[in-house]
Amino acid sequence: MIKLENVSLVFQGGSVALSNVTTSISEGEFVYLIGPSGSGKSSFLKLLYKEYFATKGKIEVVDMDITSLPKWKIPVLRRKLGIVAQEPQLLEDRTTFENISFALEILGYDSREIEQKTSTLIDLVELHESVYKFPYQLSGGEQTRVSIARALASNPLLLLCDEPTGNLDPDLSTQIVTLLEKINRAGTTVLMATHDSSIVNRRKKRVLQLKDGKLLSDVDQGRYI
Amino acid sequence: MNKLSYVVKNTFINMRRNPLLVIATMLAVLVSSFLVFTTLSGRAVVENNTSRWQNGVHVVIFLDDRVTTTAHKQLQDSLESYPEVRMVDYFSKAEATEEFKFLFKDQPELVQEVDFEILPSSLRVNLNDPSDYQLIIERMEGNPAVKEIRASGEAIDRLLSLTNTLVISASVFAVLIAFAAFILIINTLRLTAYAKRREIKIMKTLGASSTYIRLPFIFEAIFESLVGTSVAIGFGWGVIQYSKGSVIAESIFDITISDTYLINLTLGLILCSILFGLVASFIGIRKALNE
Repeated sequence: MIKLENVSLVFQGGSVALSNVTTSISEGEFVYLIGPSGSGKSSFLKLLYKEYFATKGKIEVVDMDITSLPKWKIPVLRRKLGIVAQEPQLLEDRTTFENISFALEILGYDSREIEQKTSTLIDLVELHESVYKFPYQLSGGEQTRVSIARALASNPLLLLCDEPTGNLDPDLSTQIVTLLEKINRAGTTVLMATHDSSIVNRRKKRVLQLKDGKLLSDVDQGRYI
Repeated sequence: MNKLSYVVKNTFINMRRNPLLVIATMLAVLVSSFLVFTTLSGRAVVENNTSRWQNGVHVVIFLDDRVTTTAHKQLQDSLESYPEVRMVDYFSKAEATEEFKFLFKDQPELVQEVDFEILPSSLRVNLNDPSDYQLIIERMEGNPAVKEIRASGEAIDRLLSLTNTLVISASVFAVLIAFAAFILIINTLRLTAYAKRREIKIMKTLGASSTYIRLPFIFEAIFESLVGTSVAIGFGWGVIQYSKGSVIAESIFDITISDTYLINLTLGLILCSILFGLVASFIGIRKALNE
């Protein structure tokens, strides 16, 4: 599903975000990407959906060699992925239903399909009571759920989550991770960046640890040390 | 189909965000297009008229009536021998009197007062190339049979020169206003793109192509440009229709302009306005897409 070979990312000005990272993630896995702030977690994820371009190395994502993917093909890649950011980035003037259906509209579904699929996604993230609420009327956890539902609109093969529990309290964080595990059990590969040690330690999943842009460890059922 | 409805819907949502700017843009396009339309139409009218005049008499040689008619005949023969000359007509005093009476038939007092004896006979020369009138003047000057020479070419040259000056001035003005309209469109789109920056970012994350994100902005720019140009063309056609029945049309100019010319001008302007909108939208949205 994901394959990185000696990947480095150096920003203009010379600061190194990632240095010679080599790893791979198989289909159906749930993997935590951990490390302190500035360790390169977000850069790692952004390389996978071509927000950043690797300075060196080879990257494969969902069976696509994206190392030298032309710009016009980036949307094709992103339609195979689901991306959840730390900030839910919802449209303030639209309800929960509209925020989710917006993604389906962009993907070209017709109005009947949009209605059906949005309802299914709302069921999945358990937001029945907030369907017609606007983002400012939702809790942080609910906003993250909307963001996850929107990311799932394209039936992605891979879900990339960049600290989705970063702004949430422990209970809400647990709910979000439970939801992501449910999505993973349905067949979607999940890669979640976090620096929340309690979540990582309780869930006993594979853990990739980054420090100063280097892959420090790669442990099955790992812990946040 | 759903994508098209998304694009159309968003085009109008975008325009609703900055209604005053949208109106200002349309007005600027309107003024610029109107100037282009009327300037080009006006030039075509002047060219039609001057070309008609150029097909007529180019040089009038008024003859000295003290000189014998044999001398007049010799002068006519010598004129007809010039390669630049197509035709020479002798216009007698009687014919000059008839012409005067015809031209001033609306002013009987004047006709009664005039001593027709002072009207000279003349040779009316038609040239192969109207611009050769100066050559004829030079050859005729000093000839004892010649009283005075008048060339229509001088007047036509002055008129064409004046027309060209007006066309150039109006064109410069039209270009300046078009540039203002161009900047207004870009600004309108940039403001809209700024207001929609979060939506654009989400769209990019979800895998919307640049073209798809760009389309509502392209439609908006083309729509604003087309509306401005269409109204301008409507006004332009109206002005031409009004001018046809005006005093100017009856006294000086024949306001004739071919429908084919007007249709081509209309289509050309519409095509230009589409290109104008396209280019402006590409520049206006480029930054928002690259962020």
